[in-house]
Amino acid sequence: MDDKLDQELAKENHPSYTTRWQEYVGVFVVLVVLTAIEVGVTYLPVPRLPVLLPIAIAKAALVALFYMHLKSDRRVFSALFFFGLLAGIGLIISMLLLFGPPLIDLKSYG
Amino acid sequence: MENTLSPSKAHEESVSFGVDSRKMGVWVLIASEAVFFSGLLINYMVNRGQSTSGPLPQNTLDIPLTGVNTFLLLSSSLTMVLSLNAAHQGNIRNSRLWLIATAVLGLGFLTGQAYEFTHLYHIGATLNSNLFGSTFFTLTGFHGAHVTAGVVWIGFVLTRLFRRNPDPEVPLKIEMVGLYWHFVDLIWIIIFTIVYLL
Repeated sequence: MDDKLDQELAKENHPSYTTRWQEYVGVFVVLVVLTAIEVGVTYLPVPRLPVLLPIAIAKAALVALFYMHLKSDRRVFSALFFFGLLAGIGLIISMLLLFGPPLIDLKSYG
Repeated sequence: MENTLSPSKAHEESVSFGVDSRKMGVWVLIASEAVFFSGLLINYMVNRGQSTSGPLPQNTLDIPLTGVNTFLLLSSSLTMVLSLNAAHQGNIRNSRLWLIATAVLGLGFLTGQAYEFTHLYHIGATLNSNLFGSTFFTLTGFHGAHVTAGVVWIGFVLTRLFRRNPDPEVPLKIEMVGLYWHFVDLIWIIIFTIVYLL
């Protein structure tokens, strides 16, 4: 019984994903390139939000999936992470609706 | 062998959902921190452009310097995950070196932040100068405090790695501080985009 538990817990502490340093360095290179693109966009006459926000989300996803090992670890950790993420996004949306710019111009309705 | 680590024997520790409770606890911390920083971020976003006087972000924030700072933090995430990788392979020497590199890069980031804060203070952007100052320093100040706590945590884990008889739970301990560190980096990715670039 203890041996089986040991084996299970050993698997938890050493997930069976392939941990190659090349993968981590590759993700790092992509992160640096995306960051350079982000900084470069600020010097160009283009709309920033539709370009920068997807890049930021992509970078965050790379860190979460590969460096935090969400891609290969137990699902319970992904559930916890996304619970916090959704709670945070919900907070942002509700605060934007309460204190952000109005979605409709009530004055136009007389 | 002095430079190798045996697989972690965490069977005496409690288990939740089939995983080590301590690792679960770190993830719960990360989930709560996500909500915490969301509050700080939305506070900045809602009050952005509402300052009636005082220094404004377009006149004060140094994007190239902060870009270098971002590079330091991204590099520290790489060294952190390489330290964990080495620990899983039982290579305590490499794990130690990568973890030291992570701490050094984290301190470099904090140095850059300190320089930026000092510069902003000298041009009149302070915590109570205007809406921009208060929201900016609250957000980035709390992030800097989290980075500082992470560096201290790394220091504690390093003491485990320098023991004559290596702690067999070192891979788990590196993984726990690594999860926290990567999350702090992830938050900075969002802050850098929203505060400095948009």
